[in-house]
Amino acid sequence: MSRTSKPLITIENISKSYGGVQALSKVCLNILPGEVHGLCGENGAGKSTLIKCLAGVVSPETGTITVDGKPLSHGDIHATEAAGIAVIHQESTAFLDLDLVENLFVGREIKKYGWLNRRAMERQALAVMHRLDVTLDLHTPLREFSIAQRQMVEMARACLRDCRLLIMDEPTASLSARETKTLLGLVKQLRESGVSVLYVSHRLEEIAELCDRVTVFRDGRLVATTPIDQLDRNQLIGQMVGREINALTRREEHAGQTDEVRASITGLYSRGSFSDISFEVRAGEILGIGGLVGAGRSEVARAIFGADRYDQGEIKIDGASLKKGSIQAAIEAGIAMVPEDRQHQGLILPMSVSENLSLTILTEITRHRLIHHGHETAQVQHLMRRLAVKAANAKMEAASLSGGNQQKVVLGKWLAIKPKFLILDEPTRGVDVAAKAEIHRLIRELTEAGMATLIMTSDLPELLTLSDRIQVMCEGRIAGQLDGATATEEQVMRLAFPRSEAQLT
Amino acid sequence: MKYRREASLIVLVGALSFLATLFDASFVPANAIDILINSIPTMIISCGVMLVIITGEIDISVGSLLGLLAATLALLSSTAEPGLGIHPYLAIAIVLTVGTLIGLGTGCLVVYGRVPSIIATLGLLIALDGAQDWLMGGGDIKHFPQELRYLGTGTTIPINLILTILVVAGTGLLCHKTALGRRIYAVGSNPSAARLAGISVTTTKLFVFALTGMLTAIAAILWVAKLGNVSTSTGAGLELKVVTCVVVGGVSIRGGRGRILGVVLAVILITMIRTVLNFMDLGSEAVKWQRAIEGVMILVAVTSDHFTQRNQPGGKS
Amino acid sequence: MKKFAYEFFLLGLICVVLAIAAFLDPLFLSSDVQIELSSEIWELGLLTLGMTLIIITAGIDLSVGSAMGLCSVSLGLCMHANLPTGVCVLACLATGLAAGALNGSLVAFIKVHPLLVTLATYGMYRGFAEGLQSATTNAPVDASEGIKALVTGNFPLIQILFTALTAWTAILLGRTATGRGLYAIGHNEEAARFSGIPIAKLKFWIYTYTGLLAGLAAISYSARRSATAEAGLVLELDVIAAVVIGGTSIYGGRGRIAGTLLGVLLIHETRQFVDWYWQRSELTLIVIGTLLILAVLGHRFLFAQDPDTH
Repeated sequence: MSRTSKPLITIENISKSYGGVQALSKVCLNILPGEVHGLCGENGAGKSTLIKCLAGVVSPETGTITVDGKPLSHGDIHATEAAGIAVIHQESTAFLDLDLVENLFVGREIKKYGWLNRRAMERQALAVMHRLDVTLDLHTPLREFSIAQRQMVEMARACLRDCRLLIMDEPTASLSARETKTLLGLVKQLRESGVSVLYVSHRLEEIAELCDRVTVFRDGRLVATTPIDQLDRNQLIGQMVGREINALTRREEHAGQTDEVRASITGLYSRGSFSDISFEVRAGEILGIGGLVGAGRSEVARAIFGADRYDQGEIKIDGASLKKGSIQAAIEAGIAMVPEDRQHQGLILPMSVSENLSLTILTEITRHRLIHHGHETAQVQHLMRRLAVKAANAKMEAASLSGGNQQKVVLGKWLAIKPKFLILDEPTRGVDVAAKAEIHRLIRELTEAGMATLIMTSDLPELLTLSDRIQVMCEGRIAGQLDGATATEEQVMRLAFPRSEAQLT
Repeated sequence: MKYRREASLIVLVGALSFLATLFDASFVPANAIDILINSIPTMIISCGVMLVIITGEIDISVGSLLGLLAATLALLSSTAEPGLGIHPYLAIAIVLTVGTLIGLGTGCLVVYGRVPSIIATLGLLIALDGAQDWLMGGGDIKHFPQELRYLGTGTTIPINLILTILVVAGTGLLCHKTALGRRIYAVGSNPSAARLAGISVTTTKLFVFALTGMLTAIAAILWVAKLGNVSTSTGAGLELKVVTCVVVGGVSIRGGRGRILGVVLAVILITMIRTVLNFMDLGSEAVKWQRAIEGVMILVAVTSDHFTQRNQPGGKS
Repeated sequence: MKKFAYEFFLLGLICVVLAIAAFLDPLFLSSDVQIELSSEIWELGLLTLGMTLIIITAGIDLSVGSAMGLCSVSLGLCMHANLPTGVCVLACLATGLAAGALNGSLVAFIKVHPLLVTLATYGMYRGFAEGLQSATTNAPVDASEGIKALVTGNFPLIQILFTALTAWTAILLGRTATGRGLYAIGHNEEAARFSGIPIAKLKFWIYTYTGLLAGLAAISYSARRSATAEAGLVLELDVIAAVVIGGTSIYGGRGRIAGTLLGVLLIHETRQFVDWYWQRSELTLIVIGTLLILAVLGHRFLFAQDPDTH
């Protein structure tokens, strides 16, 4: 890639506001041919809005976008496509009811005499899958694919169109380390073939590995565009948050840990999901569970919390065995869970912050069978202060909060019941750096106060810094245990891969 | 198994035929055509409503719409008072246009007015029913010109049956062989993703509602042609029968899934239940319970899936 | 008072309807006419209480009218057999409870989509009502004096019960943990489940409650007219229309009893006036259908801060 080449895309003075909130103000940016351009910033910094403008999903109020010197009409998906811009959106754009071929060609079907030409589409699908080196059945509905496989389909869909700019909005947010590696390989391969990539990610490691230049956004403004070799990690974070943040440090060894067994899980088995899961979590201890996406971690979490049934095994909390498949029983026993999907399982977005926070303590704030507003407000205010939730007031809709603050509300909802045993499933996915640090601080504080914590995460640095002990799951089984104080990323990854593959690498 | 629903419907149709054959060996050959002809209005409208439900919407105004269109046709073409006695072909053209326009209007309410389709079509169900009564002014309308009656009673070739088969085949082709059909499924499966894939959700939905309006008009024409009589209760309750058939036929009420074959089988099955019950002549006692038996069977049909699927391991959705 | 803006809008609409009525024929507003025409409002009102709860959870019950028919027939059977009034009432309410409980268990425990369940029971309950009636009395049964007294006597139990139940349902919805749970289910059932809200229990309960209300409505109907399988025919449409006009979102999560009551009143006054003044029931249908669509459009464009997503 030559630095002097003419830009493929030039963005000039793009502004966009939503109901008085300036999402983008006067952004200028150019993307060179064959470059991977990183886009960083906290949630709400304006990255997604910029992408939507580029994709033709929303029209900016001012400014121009030119592709190869030709201006692009605003808010026109078809013009964007014609100009060779393809987008892999953050929210899933998979059609779960349609099969792979149908998904690849949705909206641009190949026709012959006006009828669908299925054979030609299958042929092209096979070709593109071959190019990406993925093998997936062409006629399986996407519902039956894993999230990672669906992501591959999205990649294939973009590659199918000979695009010149591929925009990827947090493509690895729900992928495991191995899948991420495959995906990054694909991106590099695209760059080789001359395609420009606009790559949005919260994972700084990926940015460092992949990108040629990186642009940082903050509060709807562009902070700087810098070649990656002139920037280190802390500078990058500094640009993003506008202040220095202490890098995560490992937890002081076994602070506050006791010998009292809080939760003991023995021989948990669920057909098709996981088997032979046994572990104990002590009061004051954080047990981390690592592994690839699809290794069965979330399923174990859901089974313990009573969200799913399991076939065999026993769960004991403080020595008393727990009724299976009942969330109410789990909560009664003092278990709380921050689920992996914040928007669908964690929060009720159209309800207010206050209503969300008090959802778990409705009986507690009820007097004479009626909800006592005084008690409710008191509890909610207390929780919001303790979690430092940034919201104008408690009556705001949860949907209007940033990702990090939403996650704090989910956490707060469970702190309200003073849980004995807290399960966190991907607690900081899609959460910005500052909020992530605060969530980590809270988890530690609570655990030191005597709570037992089980954390499932794909984020390796998070797993290593938080956990006292680490168990790694692989293909539904526990593959091994590591000491949190000494474990390394390599050790975790070695356990996380299935045996045969581990020997290969 | 992909065609499980179709298979079980075929088994049910088979079992019902067998049961009838036990009573009278000549039942099936003697009544097969009758059953098909009786199912015509439901069959034609179900094709449209199926597409609407696949896009994730619903249309419960089709019964009233059929009534209104039948009343319009009757008024325009009837040769006796209060009919205007205009040429039947012109009347048919007018009815087809009106049906399509009302369907399009429903679509506009849903798409542009953002009124939830169940509410928009509930409103239309009530209002169109009133409009039908108002047009009819109380009494039945009879006496239609031969050209019109021929569509429903032509003895040598059953034109209505051929038309129905054409509609069904056309819907099948639309669903599985055209880009538009593919987009109808995509819109129901994931509307926001469809928008991002450059599909116009608006146009797709307007199309299915307008098509349903037109198919309802065709059904109304054939209805009048066959019965030669329109009353204020024409079409009443048809919407629920149609939705039932579509759902029993395996179309997901949440959109995105369903095939024409299942719907066709379900229409035949539900039409057959009544014919067979009538035929078996279980005595005057049983006739009284006909609707109840029908209801129980439909309840079993819509709930049976859930019983069989409940014990399968729940994957992540 | 911003919270109740839509309710004020409805109140305004009712005033407009009454003003037009007063202009065309002042007699309509006289208390005699109003009382005489008010009899039908109780059945509609009772059923909307349950329907509001159901629609708030993003459910629907198409079978209320049919269930009412079935209750009416069972009441008729008891009266035909000259059973004591108390037994008749109990049988009628028990039928309603059973019908509601069947809907409720299929929706809550077997997890069938409520539209499908009640679409099926809509035909089934009416079918049973017709079958039962034609197999036994084969004609509508006139209400016994005891039943009549419950509705039209000096101590109109149904009206008193309606008032009490309205207050109770409103408090339940607005001020209790149960109400909060119902809204949560309507907005996001999965998140409600993960918060430990007893979803199945609440859903079962609201459908059963609606069944019970159908029983009460059947008593009211039978006392006014007669106990027949025709009771409540197409009433479900009015009930749903009233609830939706009252501002309850069909997507769930939004709605209040106050709005529903105003919706009932608006439909009732409009219907009675059009019927009474023009003497043409078909005109009423056109007006009510249009009113329903306009109310939802009005709510969408005048009051929604941000558009509903579904």
